[in-house]
Amino acid sequence: MHIPDGLISPQTYLPALALAVPLWVIAGRRLHASLGDAMLPRLAVFTALAFLLSTLMLPLPGGTSGHAVGVGLLALVFGPWIAFMAYTLVLLLQAVVVGAGGITALPVNALAMGFVGAWVTVGLYRSLRGLGDAVAVTIAVWLAVMVSALLLALVLGLQPWVAAAPDGTPRFFPFGPRITIPALLIPHAFIGAGEAALTLLVFRHARKRRWLEAPG
Amino acid sequence: MKHRLGLGLWLLAVVTATLLHAPAWLGLGVAAVLLFSGSGRLALLLRVLRLVFPILLLISAGYLLMGWLSTSLAWEYLALLNLRVLLLALLTAWTARDVDLDRALRGFPAAQRWLSIVRSQVVVFRRLATEYRAAVQSRSTVPPSLAQRYRAGAVLGLAALDKAMYNSEALTQGMRSRGALDD
Repeated sequence: MHIPDGLISPQTYLPALALAVPLWVIAGRRLHASLGDAMLPRLAVFTALAFLLSTLMLPLPGGTSGHAVGVGLLALVFGPWIAFMAYTLVLLLQAVVVGAGGITALPVNALAMGFVGAWVTVGLYRSLRGLGDAVAVTIAVWLAVMVSALLLALVLGLQPWVAAAPDGTPRFFPFGPRITIPALLIPHAFIGAGEAALTLLVFRHARKRRWLEAPG
Repeated sequence: MKHRLGLGLWLLAVVTATLLHAPAWLGLGVAAVLLFSGSGRLALLLRVLRLVFPILLLISAGYLLMGWLSTSLAWEYLALLNLRVLLLALLTAWTARDVDLDRALRGFPAAQRWLSIVRSQVVVFRRLATEYRAAVQSRSTVPPSLAQRYRAGAVLGLAALDKAMYNSEALTQGMRSRGALDD
């Protein structure tokens, strides 16, 4: 889902960086305060799992494929702040090690998928828990994927207006929201369903093994 | 020091590449990376092309189609977009190849520690996935159906998770006993 380097303008990624830095500081402090001998290996394993989920392609009906995000799982197990921090590391590793995503796009990707994705997952899960775990996890993760995809579609779709040459020619991503929103949301409706199923599977396993660190 | 400088130069170069809007400068940047990236330049270029080609093809084809329909096509923009994405991907791939992140992060022990634990888990997961896939393939002469792939994936995922958790706990205990987590 994440945006690669070269498609978003400095007018977008610099304000996103200014917004992300204080959030990373808060998340870093919370992580430092809660990191113990039991949590460290769990967080490392789930961060690695999120990294792999976002590199493994998920087969979809019709021969297409997409990749899962994994932030919903991190958020349900560790809470939204730690999930945000861990997912930023996932994005950083992807950019530097795999070459997927990018360093200039990192703040936008981290905010849309890591921060918003994690908070939407946790917020919805807590609100819907009365309906049962399976329903709450499925809806929370699916909607979090859709909200993150919508945000990224809007960021991409605004590029022709945010950064255009004096003659109106785009300088970064060329298509507006009328194209980016359906282009991202339609496939992510399927990817989100796959991700929700995967998250539910691993979340139940984590609960059985008493690995959950997130309060409530 | 060399690795930290390399990391800093990479950050500077990627930001600069997003501030340049002349295809000629970006083209020069691509040429410079290929010139200075040493004997592995062809492998570097092929690796990057494998990553960015599908994205660039999709965007460029879409732009060409829209331009053809609206009769307003900017070839210079197409060159700008393709060269910028290629240059940024080349810079990152070059950094990933030549900069040792562990050395670049010397002086940041928490980041170094974190990176090594996560990396080790990624290696464990990858190895388990490869082994499990090989085991599934060796037991069947026909390719698995989509449902079988999903079921196998679920079993693999949970088995790998347990194994990785065990490894990670052992690794953390080892690091703790050697004083690596004391600060």
